[in-house]
Amino acid sequence: MADPAPRLDPVVMAMIVVREFFDGAVVNLGIGIPMHCADVIPPDREVLLHSEHGLLGFGPLAQTSEGVDPYVFIVGNRPVLPRPGMVFLSHDESFSIIRGGHIDITVMGGMQVDAAGNLANAHAPGKPAANLGGAPDLATCAKRTIIMMYHTASDGSPKVVDHCTLPLTAPRCVNRIVTDIAVMDLVGGRIVLREVAPGWTPAEVQAVTGARLVVADDIREMSLA
Amino acid sequence: MIDKSVATFDEAVADISEGARIHMGGFASPFNTPSYLIAALARNGARDLTIATTSASTGPENARNIANTLSEIVSWPSDYWEMGLIARQGQIRKLITSFPVGTGKVVWPFEERLNAGEAEVEVTGQGSLAERIRAARAGIAAFYTPVGPGTVVAEGKEIRDFEGVPHVLEQALHADFALVRAWKADRYGNLVFRGPKTFNETMAGAARVTIAEVDEIVPLGDLAPDAIHTPGVYVQRLVVRPSTPATSWQEPC
Repeated sequence: MADPAPRLDPVVMAMIVVREFFDGAVVNLGIGIPMHCADVIPPDREVLLHSEHGLLGFGPLAQTSEGVDPYVFIVGNRPVLPRPGMVFLSHDESFSIIRGGHIDITVMGGMQVDAAGNLANAHAPGKPAANLGGAPDLATCAKRTIIMMYHTASDGSPKVVDHCTLPLTAPRCVNRIVTDIAVMDLVGGRIVLREVAPGWTPAEVQAVTGARLVVADDIREMSLA
Repeated sequence: MIDKSVATFDEAVADISEGARIHMGGFASPFNTPSYLIAALARNGARDLTIATTSASTGPENARNIANTLSEIVSWPSDYWEMGLIARQGQIRKLITSFPVGTGKVVWPFEERLNAGEAEVEVTGQGSLAERIRAARAGIAAFYTPVGPGTVVAEGKEIRDFEGVPHVLEQALHADFALVRAWKADRYGNLVFRGPKTFNETMAGAARVTIAEVDEIVPLGDLAPDAIHTPGVYVQRLVVRPSTPATSWQEPC
C-alpha cells in the first residue's frame, strides 16, 4: 500500500525530538539519526551533550577544519567543536554519570520497540554478536529514553511490535518513540499514539505498525513548536 | 631512584606471552589509541590473548576509509595501528567488549575470526565493562548494577532486588597487562591525558603491569599535583612515542 503522504526526513524528526530538550538538560545522542538532534537544538537553550567515552558539554559537529581539536570527537569518530565548560572524563566516570541517573534524556536508534517498552537495538540479524555499546546503561538509567527511528524497516516490516523478537538491549525502558510518521508514548504497557505526520491518519499509522496503538484523546498533527 | 621509562616498545611488551590477559585502552581514534604498543604486541606475536576493550576495532582498511571521510575536517596520522591488526594475525582467543562487530555490511577483522569459529566473544555493555575494570583497580571484588537484568548479559549471574529494582552481580575484571595511551608523564609514572580519557584512565592500575604510551616524559615536578589524572602508583612502565612516525607496524621501535 502506498504511503498517504511523505514520511519525515531525519532532520525534521530531530526537530520533533528536541522540543523536549529543556534549558540545562543533560542529553546523550546515539549514533545514526539521533545525531541530527545536535544540529537543531534551539539556540536559546543551553543543553549539555554527553558522549560515552568521556565528553560532556561539547559543541556542534565540526563541518570544516576550523576550530577543530583532533582529540575532541564523539562516538562514530565525528569531530565536534570544543565549547566553554566542556569536561573530559574517563569511561568509568562517564558511566557513573549515566548509571547514577544524571542524564536527563537519552536519544537512540531502535530495531524493535514493543508495548512493554522493551528495546532491541544491538544485535543486527545475520551478525555473530551484538554491539551493545553504552545503550544498556543509557536506556536503563537515563531519566527519559527516546527512541528515534524509521517507523518500518527497509523491508517494510514493522519496528513497533507487540513483542520484541530480537535480543533485548534493555527491558521496559522506553518512554517515547519518534518516527518518520508518528510520536508515541509508552504508558503502562500500552503504546499511545500522540501525533501523526502531516497527511497521515491514525488508521494509516496503525496499518504499518505491528502493535495495537491507543489513539490519544488529544491526537494531533506533528508540529515543531 | 624511581624511573619507569623503558627504552623501546618491543622491550616494554617483551614479557607479554601466550594466554596473557590484556586491558586495551583507547576509543576508536588514533589520538587515544596506544598504537605503538599494539604494533609491538603484533611484532611480539603472543597468541591466545584474552583482551578487554571497548570495541573490536575496524581494521586498517576501514580505518583508512574513516580517515578519508574525515580528511577535510581532521587529519589522521599514518602511525595508527589498532586491534584489528592483532585480530587479523589470529592472536586473540577471546575478546571481552561492548562492540565486537562492524555495522551494516562492514565486517571487521575480529568478526572474521568469530565467523570462522577461531575466537570467542563475551559481549558486555560499556558501563559494566568500565565498572568491572574500575573495580579491579580499586580492589572491589564485585558489584550490583541495575543494567543487565532481563537481557542475555545477566544469564547465569546472581540477580538481587534493591528497593524493588533488579540488579545483577558483576565481577571485577583483572588483567596481567594494561596498555594505555596518555599525553604527558613524569618518571614516577604520573599521567596526564589529553581529550576524553576513555578506557585509558579506567584501565591504568587495573592490571598487574600497566604500560603507558606517552607523547612526552617531563621532568619530575613539571606536572602540577592537582593536574595529574592517574597517580604513578598505577603505572609500571612508560614508553615515549617517536617524534618521527614509524612507516610500518613491522618496524622495530
